[in-house]
Amino acid sequence: MRNNRLSMSVLLALLLAGTAQAKLNVFACEPEWAALVKELAGDEASIFAATHAGQDPHHVEARPSLIARLRSADLAVCTGAELETGWMPMVQRRARNPKVLPGQPGYFEATDAVTLLEKPAELDRAEGDVHGDGNPHVQLDPRRILEIAKALSARLQQIDGSNSTLYRRRLQDFAARWQAALSRWQGDAGALRGRRVVVHHQEWTYLLDWLGMQRVGSLEPKPGIPPNMAHLAQLKQQPADLIVLSPLNDEKPAEWLTSQTGVPAVVLPQTVGAVSGSDDLFSLFDTIVRRLNDLEHR
Amino acid sequence: MNASDFALLGPPLIAGAVVLSTHVPLGRQVLARGIIFIDLAIAQLAGLGVILVHVMFDQPGGSTVQFAAFLAALGGALMLRWAERHWPGVLEAVIGVVFVLAVSAALLMLANDPHGGERLKELLAGQLLWTTYDDLWLPAVVSLLILGVWKTVDVAHSPTVFYALFALSVTLSVQLVGVYLVFASLIIPALATRGRRGSFAAYSVGLAGYLLGLFGSLMTDLPTGPSVVWAMATVALASAFLRRTKPQTSN
Repeated sequence: MRNNRLSMSVLLALLLAGTAQAKLNVFACEPEWAALVKELAGDEASIFAATHAGQDPHHVEARPSLIARLRSADLAVCTGAELETGWMPMVQRRARNPKVLPGQPGYFEATDAVTLLEKPAELDRAEGDVHGDGNPHVQLDPRRILEIAKALSARLQQIDGSNSTLYRRRLQDFAARWQAALSRWQGDAGALRGRRVVVHHQEWTYLLDWLGMQRVGSLEPKPGIPPNMAHLAQLKQQPADLIVLSPLNDEKPAEWLTSQTGVPAVVLPQTVGAVSGSDDLFSLFDTIVRRLNDLEHR
Repeated sequence: MNASDFALLGPPLIAGAVVLSTHVPLGRQVLARGIIFIDLAIAQLAGLGVILVHVMFDQPGGSTVQFAAFLAALGGALMLRWAERHWPGVLEAVIGVVFVLAVSAALLMLANDPHGGERLKELLAGQLLWTTYDDLWLPAVVSLLILGVWKTVDVAHSPTVFYALFALSVTLSVQLVGVYLVFASLIIPALATRGRRGSFAAYSVGLAGYLLGLFGSLMTDLPTGPSVVWAMATVALASAFLRRTKPQTSN
């Protein structure tokens, strides 16, 4: 360990002497943050995504690379707000990398940079899978993505000062492109305002909040509890305009409700890469807005 | 992958050795008694105990949870011991029924508490790779105690002692390595080496399975638990095949 540290400092000295250009090792808990780091750091960072779009970030199978990559990380970028409590603390415990522990500059939580919705006044376990800090699924509000981008860029500049000019320039460029895209999306999605939505799980809270859509029900009777017949029968009475689910959800409950009520269901990507053609943050929201509009103009 | 990554395998390998130390002799008994699925039933009952404690108390302490898990497992084990005495012909069927009752009871209780669902999952899907050396003290000490009792009591003729030790052992091991690896560690080495005297061959099959599975998982970056299950089965098949082709000397 001590030898390791010595060789690290020697290495660092060499790097500072400008003999080589090391990459910043970034460990991203979810694909959306891997995509954001790519926008903000480009080729300066070597990025590892701990989970892919086909996985539920609440529960992750233990793979050796998770520990190995966190061990060598300079920065870990996660969602926070208890989303990763099922696995990240264990990976941190086994990786034993002091740089990326909570409270260190090398550990960044996206939910720290924004205000959270659905923060419970008091925690009642009977209310289902409620996150005490509020709803963690902030990646589906592009306005919040921009706030997170600013905070994340500041953090990159802090831990890798030698490249701070580059990070600042990349942030300006990203923010300009993002603002333009934001106006375009909001223009395109204007007709969706006020639409009544039945969701499968509450990862859509921030998306609905941004688009001014209204959640009138959810297929899960309580967060994290699978839909059951009694609850679905109740939902039948609820007037709605569309049902929203992610590729991770079982489509049967949504199909049943559609067959009973005629309310159409749409599968939206809940993160980067969840459906084909949503491989970066821009195409993620392009895809979401396009799919919602296709449903609107059927 | 580089050399320092091999250090990752230290704690899981020791965890495997700790689990095998008790599960090889226990597994031979399980096989001899024809109660193959008892560990699934007992593990589910341990999980049920945990859920019950969470339903009854808000924020119970870790030792309370462990105690509840063990009590539920012990109660189930003694009940199965009773069934063995009174309905010997249908014991495996009774074990199966206990298993589905325990799973269904958990689902019914969880209808209003999804966190319990996460807990049940955690309890049954212990993740080998997350194990640290600190996690291994208690299981190691308890395993030594179990082996001590094993040496002094003739378990083949004191079934009640066997069932109690089994409940204790499975309650701990399931949290370390998960229910599938508990099943594999119990049954596969015992199955591959049945008819042999001494436990050396059985321990070898088990340990080789853990070693091979852990290295395979490191090389391929696939989930560790399932990799070890497959590696152990592969080692067992290979050893059975080798025995078949060699002239029998060990019996």
